[in-house]
Amino acid sequence: MPGSKDIFLAVRKATGWWALVGGLVILGVVAVNVYSVALIILFDRPFPGVHEIVQVGVAIGMFMFLPYCQITGANVTADIFTANLGRRALARLAALGALFALLLAVLLLWRMFFGLQDLQTYRETTAIHQVPLWYAYVPILISLLLMAVSALLNLLETRAVTDREDEGDPMREGRPTS
Amino acid sequence: MSFGLLAGLIGMGLLVGLIAIRVPIAYAMAAVGIGGILTLSGPTVLLSQLKTLAYGTFSNYDLSVVPLFILMGNIAGKAGLSQALFRAANAWLGRLRGGVAMAAIAACAGFGAVSGSSLATASTMGMVALPELRRYRYSPALATGTLAAGGVLGILIPPSVVLVVYAVIVEANIVTMFSAALIPGLIAVALFILVIAIYTAINPEAGPRGQRVERRELLTASLGVIPVLVVFGLVIGGIYAGYFTPTPAASIGVFLVLAYGAARRLVGLRDLVDAILGTARTAGMIYLIVFGAELLKIFMSRGGVPQAAADMMLNSGLEPYTVLILLLVALIVLGCLMDSLSMILLATPFFWPVIAQLEFGMPLMDLKVWFGILALIVVELGLITPPVGMNVFVINSLARDVPMMDTFKGALPFFLVELLRVALLIAFPGIVLFFPAWLG
Repeated sequence: MPGSKDIFLAVRKATGWWALVGGLVILGVVAVNVYSVALIILFDRPFPGVHEIVQVGVAIGMFMFLPYCQITGANVTADIFTANLGRRALARLAALGALFALLLAVLLLWRMFFGLQDLQTYRETTAIHQVPLWYAYVPILISLLLMAVSALLNLLETRAVTDREDEGDPMREGRPTS
Repeated sequence: MSFGLLAGLIGMGLLVGLIAIRVPIAYAMAAVGIGGILTLSGPTVLLSQLKTLAYGTFSNYDLSVVPLFILMGNIAGKAGLSQALFRAANAWLGRLRGGVAMAAIAACAGFGAVSGSSLATASTMGMVALPELRRYRYSPALATGTLAAGGVLGILIPPSVVLVVYAVIVEANIVTMFSAALIPGLIAVALFILVIAIYTAINPEAGPRGQRVERRELLTASLGVIPVLVVFGLVIGGIYAGYFTPTPAASIGVFLVLAYGAARRLVGLRDLVDAILGTARTAGMIYLIVFGAELLKIFMSRGGVPQAAADMMLNSGLEPYTVLILLLVALIVLGCLMDSLSMILLATPFFWPVIAQLEFGMPLMDLKVWFGILALIVVELGLITPPVGMNVFVINSLARDVPMMDTFKGALPFFLVELLRVALLIAFPGIVLFFPAWLG
C-alpha cells in the first residue's frame, strides 16, 4: 500500500503537469496574439475575437496554476509577526492556512458547478466565436478539485509534523512577489 | 455608526489578525470578504455571486498582461539577457570608481525593462553581478546593498506587474501608467548611480576601479545589448507609440525572448518548463490575491467603509498634502510588513477614495496616475528595509557570508535617495505627468 508520502509526491507531480498544460494554454494565447498582430501588419486584416480568446484562455490557464501554487506553498504570508514561534506552532498555523485554502476551493467548486449549469441552461457563448462558455468551466472545476486535494494533503502533512517533530518540514516557505 | 460600517471595521480587524497568524493573504482576504458579504447581504446574494465572480476576475482582459509579462521576464532570465546587459554596462562604467556597482544598477534597469518584478530582477542580476563585484573586492555592504536596491528597478521601470494591478483597481489606463513610470524610473537610475559615486568618493576602498577594457570588447559587449533593446523597443515602445495594446505587446515580448533564446540555444525545453512553473507560482498567487481583494472590496463598499474613511479625512481639516504624506507614510510602514502587491491591493480601495476627494489642482485622471506612481515607489521601499526586506533576503541567499545587517546598511543610502525622489515627485507632479501628456 502506498504511504502518505507517495500520495503527496504523486499529487505534487500531477499538479506540476496540470500547471504545465495551463502554461501551454497561455502560450497558445501568446501565439494567437502574435498571429493576429502579424496578420494586421502583413495583410492589414484583423483576426476576429482575439479579445475573447485572451479572456477565456488566460482564465483557464490561471485556474490550472492554482493547485501547483497550493501544493508548493507559493501563497504569500506575512511572516514577521510569527517569526519567533517554534516549529510545532508554525505547523499548526500552516495547517490553519491549508484549511482556509481547502474551504475556499470546495466552496468555489460547489458554486461554480452551479455556475456551469447556469451557463448551459442559458446557452451562454462567447460573443464572436460562439463557443459555449461552460466548456471553459470544465478545466476550471478540475483545477479547483485538484486545489482542494492539494490543500487537504498540505493539511494532513502539517498534522504529521505536529505529531512527529523530528522530521523535515514538508511545507515550502511562502515567497512573495514583485 | 451604521451596522455596515461597524461590520467593515470588525472585518478589517479580523483581516489583520488572520494575516498576522500567517494565513496566506489571499485566503485571509477571501475569508473576510465572504464572511462580510454573508453578514451584510445574506447567503442568497453571496452564493449566487460566487457562481461567476472568480471567473469574472480571472478573465479580466487588463489583468492578462500579468502572467504574460512574468513569463517574459522568466524566459529572459534564462536567455542570457542579464549577462549581456551586465557585460555591456561593465565595459562602459567598470573603469570608474564604484563603476562595477554602477554597472550593476544600469544592468538592473535594463533587465527591469523586460521584467515586471523586483525579486526576479534582484535574483537574476545578483547571480550575474555578485561574482564580479567580489572579484574587484567591493565592500560586501555596498555590493549586496546595490543589488538589493537595483532589484527595485525591476518594478519601477515598465513593464510593472504592481502598476497593472493598481490600474485595474482604480480603473486607470495601463498605457498611461506605464508611460508615467518611465521618467521617474530613469531618475531612480540616475540617483542610484549618484549614490554609488558619493559612497565610493567617501570610502574609496569600498568600490575600487575595475580595469579599462579594450575598444574591441567595448564594441562586442555593446552589441550584446541589442536583443534587449529590440524587445524593449518593440514591447514598451510599441505600447507608448500606440502600435499595440499591452496584451498583444506582452505576447510579442514572450515570443521574441523565447525565439531568441531557442535560436541561440540558451533556452531549452527544461528551461521553458522551469519558466512556466515559476510563472505558475507567481502569477497564480497574484490572481488569487486579486480575487480575494475583489471579495473584500465588495464587502467594504457595501459597508460604506471607503466612503467613511474619505469623509473622516475630509472633515479632519488636514491639508491635502498632509493627508497625502500621511497615507504614503502608512504605505511605507505597511510595506515593511507585507509584499508590495498585497499592500497595493489592500490599501488602494481605502486610500484612493480619500485622495480622490482632495484638491491637488489637477484633473482626476492625472491624480490617479500621480498617486499610483507615488504609491508604487513607497511600497517598494519595503523591499529594502528591515524587518522583511524581500530583496535583501534574496541577495543574502546568494551571498551567505555577508551578514544580513550589512546588506540593510548597504541599502540604506538608496533608501534615503528614494525618499528624496518621492519628495521630488510630490513637489513636481509634472515629472510624472509630462511624458504621458506628451504621448497624448
